[in-house]
Amino acid sequence: MVDYSALLYDPVYGEIGVDAMFIAAGTAGEAAITVIDDTRPKSLMAGSAEVRSVGPGAFARIPELTSNGIARADYVDATLSFNGRVWTVRSYELRGSPNGEDLGEVRFLLKEAASTDG
Amino acid sequence: MADVREDILARLLEVVASIPNLRSAQRNNVDIPEDQLPAAIVFDGDEDTADEADASMRPPNRPTLVTMTPEIVIAQQADEVGSDITTLRRELIKRVLKDTELNEQIVKTGRHGNGTIRYLGCQTDVGWMRSLHGALRAQFAIKYVLKPDEL
Repeated sequence: MVDYSALLYDPVYGEIGVDAMFIAAGTAGEAAITVIDDTRPKSLMAGSAEVRSVGPGAFARIPELTSNGIARADYVDATLSFNGRVWTVRSYELRGSPNGEDLGEVRFLLKEAASTDG
Repeated sequence: MADVREDILARLLEVVASIPNLRSAQRNNVDIPEDQLPAAIVFDGDEDTADEADASMRPPNRPTLVTMTPEIVIAQQADEVGSDITTLRRELIKRVLKDTELNEQIVKTGRHGNGTIRYLGCQTDVGWMRSLHGALRAQFAIKYVLKPDEL
């Protein structure tokens, strides 16, 4: 059986991954992990107008999260800092691997941590 | 020359631009980057007459009633986008329906005028971008007298 973590994910994260700090909601504990910045352009229609923004996101390896004591229940509302910005995990989607979802990736769907109100 | 439709739309933009805390107010712009939010956009919209059913011998250049339906879009991104949009909607409706220049001088909704301004309703949309995004589309029906001889 091909080990996708060793042959695919680890080399990719080693090349294009960046350092990140994961803090689960309501805890003081921090975990240093590696993520791939997946912030994408995003636009939504408002009547005839198109409002342009970004859809912030980041990929992480589930085995790395697990080895840092981060369970799936810790994902939502966690604070994730990387590339000079601070985000809050608003949701996530699992990206399974041929070795099973527990050895795959998660794509964190993020929102700006500080309010943009006003 | 008097183009009441253009006067109405130009004044609508001024009224919308007076809403507190807006970062931008524009007319017919369909491409809004996030740093212009909260934004309001006045869209000219359509207009209609009841003249299709007019079987009279009335000369074509006689005044007729026109109902125009401009649409105003308000967009915002914020954690509390719902209450932000509610506040902006309240200010929008209040200002459009109570603006003296728009109502009494341009549309002529007064006691002896044929014009009217009615708030028809609104629709909302929400979605995720950098933060929670909300948009509101509000429609007004504005009836005015079109005088071909004055165009």
